[in-house]
Amino acid sequence: MLEAIAEIGSEWRRQKLPLYLFLGLCFNLILAPAVFAATSGDLSRTQAYWLGALVILTVALAIYLFFVMFVPERF
Amino acid sequence: MTSMNDSPKPFRVPSGTRDSRRHTPKVEMKGLYQRAVKESFVKLDPRIQVRNPVMFVVWVGTLVTLLLTFDPNLFGTLQADVNQQRLLNGLITFILLFTIVFANFAESVAEGRGKAQADALRATRSDTIAKKILPTGSVQEISSTELRRGDLVKVVAGDMIPADGEIIAGIGSVDESAITGESAPVLKQPGTDIMSSVTGGTRLLSDELTVRITADPGQGFIDRMIALVEGAERTKTPNEIALTVLLAVLTLVFLIVVANIPPITGYVASFLSTATSEQAAADLRNGASVAIMISLLVALIPTTIGGLLSAIGIAGMDRVAQFNVIATSGRAVEACGDINTLVLDKTGTITLGNRLAAEFIPVNGHGMEDVAQVALDASVFDETPEGRSIVALAERSGAKVSFDPKLAEGVEFSARTRMSGTDLDSKEIRKGAVDAIRGFVRSRGGHVPPTLDEAYERVSKLGGTPLAVCQNNEIYGVIYLKDIVKPGLKERFDQLRRMGVRTIMLTGDNRITASVIAQEAGVDDFIAEATPEDKIEVIRSEQAQGKLVAMTGDGTNDAPALAQANVGLAMNSGTQAAKEAANMVDLDSDPTKLIDLVTIGKQLLITRGALTTFSVANDIAKYFAIIPTIFAAAGIGALNVMGLKSANSAIISALIYNALIILVLIPLALKGVQFRPLTADQLLRRNILIYGVGGVIAPFIAIKLIDVILPFS
Amino acid sequence: MLQGWIQIVLTLLILVAITPFFGRYMARVFQEQRTILDPILNPVERFLYSLVGVRAKEDMTGWQYARAILYCNVVMGVLIFSIIMFQQFLPLNPTGIPAPTWDTALHTTISFITNTNQQHYSGETYLSYASQMWGLGYHMFTSAATGLAVGIAFIRGLTGRPLGNFYVDLIRAITRVLLPISIVGAIVLIAAGVPETLAGPAIVPTLEDPAISQAIARGPVAHFEIIKNLGENGGGFFAINSAHPFENPNGLTNLITLVSILSIPTSLIYTYGIFANNIKQAWLVYSIPFVILVGFIIITAIGEYNGNPAVNALLGVDQAPNLEGKEVRFGWAQSALFAVITTASMCGAVNSLHDSFMPNGGFSTLSNLFLQIVFGGQGTGTAYLFAYLILAVFITGLMVGRTPEFLGRKIEKREVVLASFLILLVHPIAILIPGAIALAFPDQLAGISNPGFHGLSQVIYEYASAAANNGSGFEGLGDSQPSPIAIAGGATTSATALWWNLSTCFSLLAGRYVPIAALLLLADSMARKQPVPATTGTLRTDTGLFTGVTIGVILILGALEFFPVLALGPIAEAFQIARGIG
Repeated sequence: MLEAIAEIGSEWRRQKLPLYLFLGLCFNLILAPAVFAATSGDLSRTQAYWLGALVILTVALAIYLFFVMFVPERF
Repeated sequence: MTSMNDSPKPFRVPSGTRDSRRHTPKVEMKGLYQRAVKESFVKLDPRIQVRNPVMFVVWVGTLVTLLLTFDPNLFGTLQADVNQQRLLNGLITFILLFTIVFANFAESVAEGRGKAQADALRATRSDTIAKKILPTGSVQEISSTELRRGDLVKVVAGDMIPADGEIIAGIGSVDESAITGESAPVLKQPGTDIMSSVTGGTRLLSDELTVRITADPGQGFIDRMIALVEGAERTKTPNEIALTVLLAVLTLVFLIVVANIPPITGYVASFLSTATSEQAAADLRNGASVAIMISLLVALIPTTIGGLLSAIGIAGMDRVAQFNVIATSGRAVEACGDINTLVLDKTGTITLGNRLAAEFIPVNGHGMEDVAQVALDASVFDETPEGRSIVALAERSGAKVSFDPKLAEGVEFSARTRMSGTDLDSKEIRKGAVDAIRGFVRSRGGHVPPTLDEAYERVSKLGGTPLAVCQNNEIYGVIYLKDIVKPGLKERFDQLRRMGVRTIMLTGDNRITASVIAQEAGVDDFIAEATPEDKIEVIRSEQAQGKLVAMTGDGTNDAPALAQANVGLAMNSGTQAAKEAANMVDLDSDPTKLIDLVTIGKQLLITRGALTTFSVANDIAKYFAIIPTIFAAAGIGALNVMGLKSANSAIISALIYNALIILVLIPLALKGVQFRPLTADQLLRRNILIYGVGGVIAPFIAIKLIDVILPFS
Repeated sequence: MLQGWIQIVLTLLILVAITPFFGRYMARVFQEQRTILDPILNPVERFLYSLVGVRAKEDMTGWQYARAILYCNVVMGVLIFSIIMFQQFLPLNPTGIPAPTWDTALHTTISFITNTNQQHYSGETYLSYASQMWGLGYHMFTSAATGLAVGIAFIRGLTGRPLGNFYVDLIRAITRVLLPISIVGAIVLIAAGVPETLAGPAIVPTLEDPAISQAIARGPVAHFEIIKNLGENGGGFFAINSAHPFENPNGLTNLITLVSILSIPTSLIYTYGIFANNIKQAWLVYSIPFVILVGFIIITAIGEYNGNPAVNALLGVDQAPNLEGKEVRFGWAQSALFAVITTASMCGAVNSLHDSFMPNGGFSTLSNLFLQIVFGGQGTGTAYLFAYLILAVFITGLMVGRTPEFLGRKIEKREVVLASFLILLVHPIAILIPGAIALAFPDQLAGISNPGFHGLSQVIYEYASAAANNGSGFEGLGDSQPSPIAIAGGATTSATALWWNLSTCFSLLAGRYVPIAALLLLADSMARKQPVPATTGTLRTDTGLFTGVTIGVILILGALEFFPVLALGPIAEAFQIARGIG
């Protein structure tokens, strides 16, 4: 059990993308209800969840572009 | 004084005109486009796309519109026909996908050309068997890939030379046509500084050589060239990096702008629903739907330059390779465009390597015919270009060989005597450096006429090399050997001057001679009686003023200067040290190519700038196509100056234009903007007119045309 | 009509005429050459330096300069915040005003240290004379001098000199430029009828009914007024700013106000010309904002002159100037001119209500705020202009086949990062993001008085004004907390005002300190570069052609990113009015 956790931990260090995806989806669990509440009934729960994901995606793209801006050599 | 001991460096006049040599080696170009098409789909892999920020944003957008094609109401219910929305979103997805594919295609074609060239080169470098000389003295046959720097190998006639190296023993002629395209074999021998280096992949035609290997496998020139033209080792040049920053910032700005449109229109829509009609509100909300926002984003971000940027860079390297020049980095090619000063050797670069006889000057009361006759007699056995030109001039003056050459004996030139000539039974005929002949005549009991010095002075003042001729103890006259400036060079220096590039000529000649040649060639400055140390001194002093300097060189003593220069072009015929110090090597060993490299560097930068300007200027038309139509419900339809049919039609037209323009501009990106030797102001005016003003107008026309053709209502 | 246009043209002519003189004077001041005031001020300065322990001759790097500004501003910010919060315990509070809400005080503090002077309060009822003079008036000098110092440091860096020392520049900007002109100007204003008194409001019987008395607010206005304009601060002593007859009583004071607003940002371009030893380029660069300014003035003035067709229809005339929200003593021409100049220069003083302008005015004033270079803020405007020039050089300069150079210095990755960050990114982030959030919750957060296109303009204007450090308001938003007296009387605080106070603080800070740091780092890296000698192959930046190219780049990069909000705001409103609805 402990070994499994340790392995997941070490994998996380190598595989950044799945980690970020997972964290993004987790964050969406908080964001989506907020979106749902803010739109006061215009959206279904599913739509609110997708919209939350879209917002996170947009922010992620912005962060990516900032990254490109400061270390363009790596692209 | 200068005389024949200032002998010209071994210099090969490349066969054919420059254009005929500018070719891709015999490569398989067939199937290039099929392969590129396949490649452009393979490159949709996100791990590749993520390296191109602009296209990666398009890629992510395509993914989202794909989701929206399956469910148009994914992010909120639109008050529109679902199937119609699906069709629209599907169409958007399709066009976005092709925007990326077209950009990939541009890169693939550029890479494909490089690969084809590399394959041809690689074929010359297939594993060969090397005869390695072991420390014990015995010879062991091993694969050329196992050779290491410092190993000694033996090469016999017919063998491929296994790797780059330096000859330490033996003389042999080498066929270098595989890399230079030059069919005449080259004589190679040790210790001559210039001709002692050999390149892997070339073939020894005669005799036997012992070669010390100077490059580890994969590090030789051919390997480096392959890596560069294939784009495998391509690192971004400083300019490309700065441009990438700008593109990323523009993309980020438009991402922010577009992401904030939906809440803003949401506010206006809720106002419209009470102020005008529910329909107007719904129309406005549809206009700011996620799919349309992604389309707007893609239309606004600089996809044109973003998609073509890497293709431009690869094609630039490829152009250099087509000129038979190996550059060790893209940085060096780009630096060529920035060069302020060219430092050029006189001999071989500005003048033809050989001086030619231009005039006979009689002294001591002899007639012109006598001098011509003696000069001819002295040169019968002289096979050097100078000798032959003397023969030709003498024959033009009416002289004929007055003896049977079989009875005579040729006296070869030697560095000690500094004379050559012919011995007949009773006559010693000589030609050579003026003081050498003076000494010869005195030793035979003759006297030196005072007019000799006058003639000598005259020739020197004209920038020529005087050779005296004598028969026994009698001096007949002086031959005026003239340096011939390469044809067309003056015009090229004029062009360079207009582009703001200064040329400095270096020569071992004295001031007078140098100034005459400098005048004739039209260089801006010259350094006479220059030593190799002067070369590096000139470069340093120019660099201290902030200038970028380019130079050519081939000898070992040029190496420090080549390393110091911002662009150092070594001749392939040069020594290993020179080639290692330089950042470019010319396989044809033609020093004037430096001028072409300046042009290539500038062309590379101009192409990048032109497409960037074009891409940014396009935004005006795209804005005016999309914003008024998608916000038509807010009552700003009158801004739709192009009279586009509908929001959907406008969006699709703008996106189609956006994708097609990449395809249309691929040839320009690969060939480069045509370069003209104009001043910066003229260039700017011209390019701003074409790519700036043109970039504003062209999309207006194109988008309107596409809109008319599209069957949208 | 003709009279109005003559007023406009004359004002602009005066501005152009004083540019070379003032520009040359500032160059002398900041090149530390002898000026007329030396005999009096040198001992004063020496005393100040020894007092605070500045080693005056020590040059700073870009980063040190930026840090010095930051520390200095934080200290001053704490000071001003304390003065406002403790005003009831301090002297010079004749009306006994208690402390305003913390968010109002915070917003006012940040707004004044950033040279913005966005006012979510009314001077008469929220602040004591002590807060106005010691808190705000003092910052009007220091924040303006800070901007000027940044401009000068930027010019120094661009022309290859060390950036200089912030403290020295700050003190010289105050003692040699701002203070002398303010003293003379204040005296002239007093002569022209502006009050300067520490007495409380005058209580006078009304003309209609002598039994009823009326309180007329007054105070130390004249000295406050001149630095408000000269330093491009714009925070009025009274709530209605330069429309108030005590702040701006007549045509003469209006002219003085306009000229003093634009004098420093225009002349600083000439100062650059002297530093760069290229007066021709200075005038060409000068022409860029000048052309844009004239364009906006024409657009606005035509709109105001023609008036509102709906109103005109009611009046039964074809054309009558739009005088709604204007002082009749200034009329359409001087109001339009004032509105454009105050937004162009990041001053933010107003002599008419921008909310009441025709959409043409909304378009021009908003565009001014978006561009920030139509002469622009004190010091920073000139620096932004040159950052645009650097961007234009980078985009088009490659087309001459060389690595782009500006003044012989190569534009490379670092410069592109800083210039594009500065010019292209900060503004959309500080305007559009909070603007979109406020508009997503128009009732909960924004408190918009005019829903629709106009409301959108109001919200965007407020953030643009904050981010550009202008400080004027379109107004019409629920952005003010009740006055301290009202709160003491039991009024409840407003949630929208809290949102506005805090969200504009974000825009204020982002719009001020990020660009200042970027500008200084940009200047620093330019100064450190080895200049390349100019040849015929070098792109010349002092030609008409390149100036035209720069205007194109400014319009495409600076304005187009705001085209969607302009389209849904003033442009949509203009069409709406043209159609005759609303």
